[in-house]
Amino acid sequence: MSACDVPAESFAAMAEDSELHGIPENVLQLGSSVPPAPQHSDAECNPGTEASAAEGSWSGRWVLLRLLDQAEARHSAYLLAPKEASAVLEGTVPEAPRMDRKIQVSEQAQVFSERRSKAVCCSLPPSSSDSCSSESSEGKTSPRYMEQVNSKGSKDFCIKNIRQAAFGRKEIEMAEQEMMALMTLRRAAEGEKPLAGAKIVGCTHITAHMAVLMETLSVLGAQCRWAACNIYSIQNEVAAALAEGGVPVFAWKEESEDDYFWCIDSCVNVEGWEPNMILDDGGYMTRWIYKEYPHLFENIKGIVEESVSGIHRLYQLYKTGKLCGPAINVNESLIKQKFDNFYCCKETVLDALKRTTDVILAGKQVAVCGYGEVGKGCCAALKGMRAIVYVTEIDPICALQACMDGFRVVKLDEVISMVDILITCTGNKNVVLREHLELVKNGCIVCNMGHSNTEIDVASLITPELTWRHVRAHVDHIVWPDGKTIVLLAEGRLLNLSCSTVPVYVLSITATTQALALIEMFNAPEGHYKQGIYLFPKKMDEYVSVLHLQSFDAHLTELTDEQAKYMAINKNGPFKPSYYRY
Amino acid sequence: MTDSIVDAKLELKQASKEFKESENVAEKYSAMTVSKNSDVNMNVGELSAAFTAVPTHKSVKKLQFASQEEKQEFSKFPTKTGRRSLSRSISQSSTDSYSSAASYTDSSDDETSPREKTQVNSKGSSDFCVKNVKQAEFGRREIEIAEQDMSALISLRKRAQGEKPLAGAKVVGCTHITAQTAVLIETLVALGAQCRWAACNIYSTQNEVAAALAETGVAVFAWKGESEDDFWWCIDRCVNTECWQANMILDDGGDLTHWVYKKYPSVFKKVRGIVEESVTGVHRLYQLSKAGKLCVPAMNVNDSVTKQKFDNLYCCRESILDGLKRTTDVMFGGKQVVVCGYGEVGKGCCTALKALGAIVCVTEIDPICALQACMDGFKVVKLNEVVRQVDMVITCTGNKNVVTREQLDRMKNGCIVCNMGHSNTEIDVASLRTPELTWERVRSQVDHVIWPDGKRVILLAEGRLLNLSCSTVPSFVLSITATTQALALIELYNAPDGRYRQDVYLLPKKMDEYVASLHLPNFDAHLTELSDEQAKYMGLNKNGPFKPNYYR
Repeated sequence: MSACDVPAESFAAMAEDSELHGIPENVLQLGSSVPPAPQHSDAECNPGTEASAAEGSWSGRWVLLRLLDQAEARHSAYLLAPKEASAVLEGTVPEAPRMDRKIQVSEQAQVFSERRSKAVCCSLPPSSSDSCSSESSEGKTSPRYMEQVNSKGSKDFCIKNIRQAAFGRKEIEMAEQEMMALMTLRRAAEGEKPLAGAKIVGCTHITAHMAVLMETLSVLGAQCRWAACNIYSIQNEVAAALAEGGVPVFAWKEESEDDYFWCIDSCVNVEGWEPNMILDDGGYMTRWIYKEYPHLFENIKGIVEESVSGIHRLYQLYKTGKLCGPAINVNESLIKQKFDNFYCCKETVLDALKRTTDVILAGKQVAVCGYGEVGKGCCAALKGMRAIVYVTEIDPICALQACMDGFRVVKLDEVISMVDILITCTGNKNVVLREHLELVKNGCIVCNMGHSNTEIDVASLITPELTWRHVRAHVDHIVWPDGKTIVLLAEGRLLNLSCSTVPVYVLSITATTQALALIEMFNAPEGHYKQGIYLFPKKMDEYVSVLHLQSFDAHLTELTDEQAKYMAINKNGPFKPSYYRY
Repeated sequence: MTDSIVDAKLELKQASKEFKESENVAEKYSAMTVSKNSDVNMNVGELSAAFTAVPTHKSVKKLQFASQEEKQEFSKFPTKTGRRSLSRSISQSSTDSYSSAASYTDSSDDETSPREKTQVNSKGSSDFCVKNVKQAEFGRREIEIAEQDMSALISLRKRAQGEKPLAGAKVVGCTHITAQTAVLIETLVALGAQCRWAACNIYSTQNEVAAALAETGVAVFAWKGESEDDFWWCIDRCVNTECWQANMILDDGGDLTHWVYKKYPSVFKKVRGIVEESVTGVHRLYQLSKAGKLCVPAMNVNDSVTKQKFDNLYCCRESILDGLKRTTDVMFGGKQVVVCGYGEVGKGCCTALKALGAIVCVTEIDPICALQACMDGFKVVKLNEVVRQVDMVITCTGNKNVVTREQLDRMKNGCIVCNMGHSNTEIDVASLRTPELTWERVRSQVDHVIWPDGKRVILLAEGRLLNLSCSTVPSFVLSITATTQALALIELYNAPDGRYRQDVYLLPKKMDEYVASLHLPNFDAHLTELSDEQAKYMGLNKNGPFKPNYYR
């Protein structure tokens, strides 16, 4: 446990020395208060789009590609030869210990922002640990001191073992099949190479899904150098496949903290190669460049930041006037937020409850604490299973929504002695206290979908009179002296990350969003994005949606000219005013 | 045929009104007030004659529609939500209660205009002008019924009665005069305000409610079926009184604000704020504000979060089923339905239909909404792909010509076509008025359109808004609106100097939350309170606001 906290703590230390740490303000609120002009108007944010939209006759779907005309076509040295598509990995990936994931979840991101948004959880990789099956055979030498050569003779990478490339390639191909949207983008923009000339330095989780993103970026013309943002989430064989494909990757699973920053440094510190875009997850890369190579910022056209904590750091930089380039906050992208919270939780709450407890949900009385996006998802799913759902809420607007959706709004005290399942998703702390748990009935299942491990006061249960029985992975029975047993899932940590997986579809949304943000930043006319933190433009959100609609075989209706005129909107979007929240 | 004549005339008149209004307002007023022989007045005269000749329920509705459309012209870039609530702000219940009111009133009264009569209420006051003050007792009963559904307003009344937050407020109002509004007015009075009231729509007034208000001492100037001249006279009487100067304006449609602005600009010196309810009025205010002519703060209650959700999502979710059942008695289970548009209204319709076991497809233009539809389990299609198979077509796009003649030609026999969206533009009904098609009026609001080969398409409400024509707006929804208005008045009146400048404001989130919390007792809902520790952890005030402003 303690080892895994290392990067987070060191980051915290870094943060502290510049007084960035511990500001208890919400990232979102910062967002709204800091740069008013760029933050709040998608329309203004994207005049280039509008302008080129007016001329040109394109079918709505490829709006983007027209935008990218300016990008000169150029062959990329990193263009990957397509592999045979036939290889589909047989058999299932070994069931992995899920330990890693919960570690990532619970501690890492929280250090920076005291009040986090729920989206944190999904920016972490789901299946990172599932595929690391081949490590046992490896020697203990650190990859830093091994010299490896890929089949093209390049040595510009540092990974565990290049020979795992074939296995990693299969993983990537599997991921490609699931990430149709990104593949569509790849095919559609391959000719135009909208990222020709982009030199992207990245620091993200290194998993098969991110590999699809990286290779897409390469296909679109970018040169990439990549490091890992989390020392546990790396899939070594995927890193090998990337290295074999010619992407300089510096990452291996369970690198030390020292290695971690060495890897980041190796990405940036190369002669004759200066990055002009940063794709970051957690802000480490930005931070490193800012500390060690500030001159590089002169060439940086944009930073794309994925995580809440990274965004928080960017806002701090912006506030102090030290941010020397535009940044896009993809975490707040509307479509990503919906998927991370509402849709994802709607499915995972059932999945996780079933996997851990095999409980039948129909007719069960369930109390859901909180009726935000996550709470709405949970309630909808449980109601669909014909459970009897009660809601607790502090915000009268959300409470009224719950009423109108047919849920009883109660105080927890009123129902606590009746419920069979208790789910928290408030984002707050100490929502379920020891005194509540004293009152629950025998066999009650208690779990947390909300955020971190603060919602259920688990610490109060660690007392001598209570017996903890670990029943199976992530399931604990806590036995009262009188024999009453409650079932605590994932020790009060996030249920959906600990006991379920994030669907690839959601990851695809994230990756597509990142790719489009990079393209947007790289191709924006000079001066379009100033120093500041921008929200993902609505138009791009719409494009992400278009790319994902294909997997549903959904057919979008197009406005006629007459209708577009009547509505006074552009035929190709954006279709809603920027304040519309769907 | 008479119907359509009425319609046509009304539209004509309103078009001309609109034109004049937007072109040169002052000219319009002079035309109406000075020269009695002007075309406008002629039209109005003919119109009201035609109207009384055909006093069907439906024609009233049509008139309302026409006026909605007229207002729509005003806002060049209406959002979907805007359109919806516009339709709502022309209160449905007003027309409904027209029919109920008709039973006590119309027959007994002579034709003298109330302007010419002097009436005195039981307290000896004659500062009002209603059809017949003797109807007060009926009106009181209506108000009492409305009060039962508007417990939020009543509880606001009870809570704030002691403090009298509106003591000293002189509110001049121009809204629909219905039982629900009467509850609002009486609440304002209970909170310490003095009120003078006129109607914002010449047809929606419930005479007996106006009488009840007059009886209790509120200066009401309104009766059903006023002429346009009467309309402005009533507004003028509200504002133009000696030794009483308004300091708050509550408006629905912007007519009152306009009148004050044109005729009595000096009044604005004392006015602390304007509360505006309708899309049209809000749009006018924004225009004034843009031109730098707005000289007092104004509150846009139309776009309050709670009100928008109720107007669109929740209200339509219920009224789609109600409207379809009342008109067609159709069974929904297993029916194939296509819903055009997946905004708030579309979401409501789809949820309701799915719950009854219908198979629902969605058409959308906005990829984000389309993706939401997919994730909610609806097939996203183009209308042409499914139009042959579906049993029902429901439009809720806010756009025009979404269902064209060509698509109507391909529908199967017995297909039900209706519109939940906006006005009557979504279904191209005009294209159905051709010689080869036979129209058969089956019952009120239901037409069978018969093709030469015998195929029938069932058109509801002639393509106008189904939920307004064939269903009712629940008092609960009106209660949300009225409470929002009352709180906006209190907020503006009590705001410290300098909080609100000369601009148009949205209702603060905190007030929105208060509106919601007043309505929670109806559901016997118990709100949880944050502990101090939790509030600190979240960085929130224990009493709200709980969400950032942009949270929807």
